[in-house]
Amino acid sequence: MLELKDVSCSYDQLRVLKDISFSLKENEIVCIIGPNGCGKTTLLKAIAGLLPYTGSIKFHGSEIQDLKRKDLAKGIAFMSQISEMYFEYSIYETVMLGRYLHGKKGLLPAVGKEDEKIVERVLRDVELWQEKDKPITQLSGGQLQRVFLARTFAQEPKLILLDEPTNHLDLKYQLELMQRLEKWSKEKGHAVLGVFHDLNLAMQFAERIILLDQGEIALEGETQRVLQDQTLTKVFGVDVLNYMQGSLNKWVSSKERA
Amino acid sequence: MKNSWRLQILIVFSLLSLLAAACFGSVTISVGNSLAVLAHKIFGQPLPESVPPLHVTIVWDLRLARAALAFLVGAALAISGVVMQSVLRNPLASSYTLGVSSGASLGAALIIITGYTLPILGAFTLPLAGLFTGLLTVYLAIAVASRVDRGFSGNTIVLTGMVFTLFVNAVLTLVAYFHPDRTRHILLWQMGSFALKDWTFSLVLFPIVIIGLFLLLRQSKELDMLTFGEEQAAAMGVETTRVKWILMSIAAALTGSAVAFAGVIGFIDLISPHVVRRFSGASHIWVLPMSALFGGSFMVLADVVARTVMSPTELPVGAITAILGGPFFVYVYFSKRKVA
Repeated sequence: MLELKDVSCSYDQLRVLKDISFSLKENEIVCIIGPNGCGKTTLLKAIAGLLPYTGSIKFHGSEIQDLKRKDLAKGIAFMSQISEMYFEYSIYETVMLGRYLHGKKGLLPAVGKEDEKIVERVLRDVELWQEKDKPITQLSGGQLQRVFLARTFAQEPKLILLDEPTNHLDLKYQLELMQRLEKWSKEKGHAVLGVFHDLNLAMQFAERIILLDQGEIALEGETQRVLQDQTLTKVFGVDVLNYMQGSLNKWVSSKERA
Repeated sequence: MKNSWRLQILIVFSLLSLLAAACFGSVTISVGNSLAVLAHKIFGQPLPESVPPLHVTIVWDLRLARAALAFLVGAALAISGVVMQSVLRNPLASSYTLGVSSGASLGAALIIITGYTLPILGAFTLPLAGLFTGLLTVYLAIAVASRVDRGFSGNTIVLTGMVFTLFVNAVLTLVAYFHPDRTRHILLWQMGSFALKDWTFSLVLFPIVIIGLFLLLRQSKELDMLTFGEEQAAAMGVETTRVKWILMSIAAALTGSAVAFAGVIGFIDLISPHVVRRFSGASHIWVLPMSALFGGSFMVLADVVARTVMSPTELPVGAITAILGGPFFVYVYFSKRKVA
């Protein structure tokens, strides 16, 4: 589905990504991890066609730099971190924007019956149909993230790119978001490529992990293997597995004492 | 309440504001007489004997010709303000952010000083020179912004617009300084006025506003997406750089035309989009036409106040839009916010 070969990205003279190569199959959930500034978000943006790159990024055999924006967006959706909302769109209007690339432009932009059906379905999926007329400026971080997830689903992509989607969300919403994505991936046979800081979530949902360090792939493989590899400790400068194990033991023992 | 209802209410409000403009002035004309003149002029109805011929001239040739231009200028500035605020994701952006008013003022000042008149254009030489230099300034500002920042970000555009505004204003100041005998004339033009404008001006501006509004409505979805940020818009399939060029060019053409015909009138372009969004939400398919109607009506009413409050002396309409608009804006914006 997605194939990267020797992909490099630079900001001015600074090379942020260096010769990245990997591929992604349909139906896969893959997680990118790595310390701050290692190029995770840059990699996602390059795949989303938002940054120029050298090398090759092919989506279903087509070089993404050669695709028109609308054609690329039909295949790949990019869900970035929540930014400040200035304007009071309703939940429904926001999700309907996901149908933009499927719409036919007549004299004026119009919403088709099919678009209405799809938006209703995705809003019911994320349990926001009852509140569809609420302005997005009045929503909590968790609700807002669900709105953007619904908009991403409404776009009907084959691959969803996620840039730290669980930031600012409490545990319940983090799990809910990931479960919804997992369900979408399995039901539709589509792929998810996400950047995560939380290794617990990566461990629970990702089938494969790509570990980035200073713009290069330090390690790539099945989740369990990557999380147990010493490279992880080297890259993060902390014995991650030991730390997670220690936290869990502490929590279990405190619960036993109580 | 549905937005279609709100739009209809605004249409009625606009018609009432035009009727008010026909009735009020140094000579007060009754609503009945004003309506009779309108029916006579628009539908060819016979004029009742009770309506003096002078009233026909006052209502149709003086007041409505002026009010129609005020309405079109207000509409053009308001929809241009909507575009600039949404494209730049900046609630303080206005139609003038890219330097169109400074450019137009410089062009107008050069015509005022040289007294040059093109043979075919006659009285339209000044507004067209203003339009040309206004658009040239905007074009240069956008071209420089897109050259220095490949991403063509909103902040770069705002900063470039500010630099061009300041630069062109400095040139204008120098021009005015070396021609003190023309300074008052330049200043009066800059203050903005609809005095002595006949129907010809409205007939020229009308198609520009209608075509501009139509083209913007066609891009209303793209405008919606740009308000979520360029990255998100691009990821949803919008060719952001091309679309921003198109949107800002249309906005500049609308502002440039408005400024060319009426001078620099501020505030309406800033407040109209905010007031309309408070009631209708943010979707541009509604915000654009409603802002046009609101901005147009507000300008008409401000002009009525400008020419009646100290009659026969006429006040600068730009000062009235700010004096009336400021408190109204604060009331609408913050009272609704408290409820929400």
